[in-house]
Amino acid sequence: MIEIKNVNKWFGEFQVLTDINETIERGQTVVICGPSGSGKSTLLRCINGLEPYQKGQILVDGVSLSDPKTNLYKLRENIGMVFQRFELYPHMTALQNITLAPMKVRKLSKDKARKKAMELLQRVGIPDKADSYPANLSGGQQQRVAIARSLAMEPKYMMFDEPTSALDPEMIKEVLDVMIDLAKEGMTMLCVTHEMGFAREVADEIIFMDFGKIVERGTYEGFFKNPKSERAKEFLKQIL
Amino acid sequence: MGFAYDFDWGVLWRQPYGIWLLQGLWLTIKIGFVAWIVAFFLGVLVGTLRVTPWRWLRFISTAYTEIFRNIPFLVQLFFWYYAGPMIFGESLGRQINQIVGLNFYVAILALGLYTASRVAEHMRAGFASISRDQYQAVLSTGMTQYQMYRYVIIPYALRIIIPPLTTEFLTIFKNSSVAMTIGVAELTFMSYRIDAETFHGLEATTGAMVIYLILGLTVVRAMGIIEARFKIPGMIGRE
Ligand SMILES: Nc1ncnc2c1ncn2[C@@H]1O[C@H](COP(=O)(O)OP(=O)(O)OP(=O)(O)O)[C@@H](O)[C@H]1O
Ligand SMILES: [Mg+2]
Repeated sequence: MIEIKNVNKWFGEFQVLTDINETIERGQTVVICGPSGSGKSTLLRCINGLEPYQKGQILVDGVSLSDPKTNLYKLRENIGMVFQRFELYPHMTALQNITLAPMKVRKLSKDKARKKAMELLQRVGIPDKADSYPANLSGGQQQRVAIARSLAMEPKYMMFDEPTSALDPEMIKEVLDVMIDLAKEGMTMLCVTHEMGFAREVADEIIFMDFGKIVERGTYEGFFKNPKSERAKEFLKQIL
Repeated sequence: MGFAYDFDWGVLWRQPYGIWLLQGLWLTIKIGFVAWIVAFFLGVLVGTLRVTPWRWLRFISTAYTEIFRNIPFLVQLFFWYYAGPMIFGESLGRQINQIVGLNFYVAILALGLYTASRVAEHMRAGFASISRDQYQAVLSTGMTQYQMYRYVIIPYALRIIIPPLTTEFLTIFKNSSVAMTIGVAELTFMSYRIDAETFHGLEATTGAMVIYLILGLTVVRAMGIIEARFKIPGMIGRE
């Protein structure tokens, strides 16, 4: 369970996050949407300790991130993260990208790590691309390798930061399908995305952020069909 | 049109002069290679320490880089040769001064330390060209700062900076000629020596120039092979 309690964060004078409250239960899929600059990426980065916050509390399975005794590296092993621009290691093959962390962090043998990586590539539908370098993969394929790289650490949670917004339309589906499968298998997910189809299929809750605040929350029907706030209505008009 | 000067290209292969040039070349190669090994590893280390989270290490490595790259190499060479042994105190300093071939070792050390500061700067540029999200992607898999640099960021940055490193490697051979000022009998020194003995400095210097050129082109070729071997697919060295 991830508990976010009254979190506030500043970049210097600028307040990026204001009084964020949210609880994500195991097995849930939460979708975050909102205009550019509203603090969505920053919120995700606070949850796995890549960015510090100044006020409030974030607890992952009861462990506080702001507690100086918390080992953030250990904690991140449990939280996978997928980025908008994939961020694969360009000098390594798809397989090497996936096996690196299990080998170095989990100390898995090379054979075991490879076996698992191949299973994951199978699962995301590109077992034939194991030895390809990122530059020789399409955007959709790269993103699927990136998802496999995160899954290789067997995380309890997965966070996605606009995983399809750098992709051509025909590739969006192949990535979303992988994400939908994951959600249906019971993965706990936190996704920044504006893909309504994805939200309709798997989201348990949708959070709408604006200027660092959670302005509205609801289910798919509640939020996308009947938004309450003016800001959300305006925003939905733009993305539809 | 005639020259008053009496050309004698024979000095380039007449003995002992031809051998002198080859001996000089051999010393130039040795200085350049060993100094490069020092410069490369020290430079990667210093360049990496400049971006670590620990303030003290950052301060020391930044100070190192700025001191060594802002003082002319010749001055550094003189400093290490004349003042260097005294750092170790009077009696030890005197012993160091008696080491046979001290100037050769000093040349390697000075050139290595100086070039390391330049390699460190290139490293920093390499790190800076890697996006913040790329670093965060590595950390998000649970890797520590050390593992992140060791397994992803340093290998990645090194591949990015192969072209400027090639230039540094070339420059180290050229800078090694400065070692003649402390009496190291490398290639430039030998061409002067031939001039002193035969008054055919023009031929000797031309010979040295050609040898430097061939050496440089060989290095460029070798680095080209390394670059092709390690290039990041889709980034540098496109066919
Ligand atoms: N490292 C930083 N230093 C200072 N300001 C930052 C930093 N990172 C983000 N910001 C600012 O914080 C605000 C929120 O940024 P964030 O990236 O979280 O927004 P976002 O909702 O993810 O937007 P987008 O949809 O464009 O990705 C923006 O105004 C941004 O300029
Ligand atoms: Mg963002």
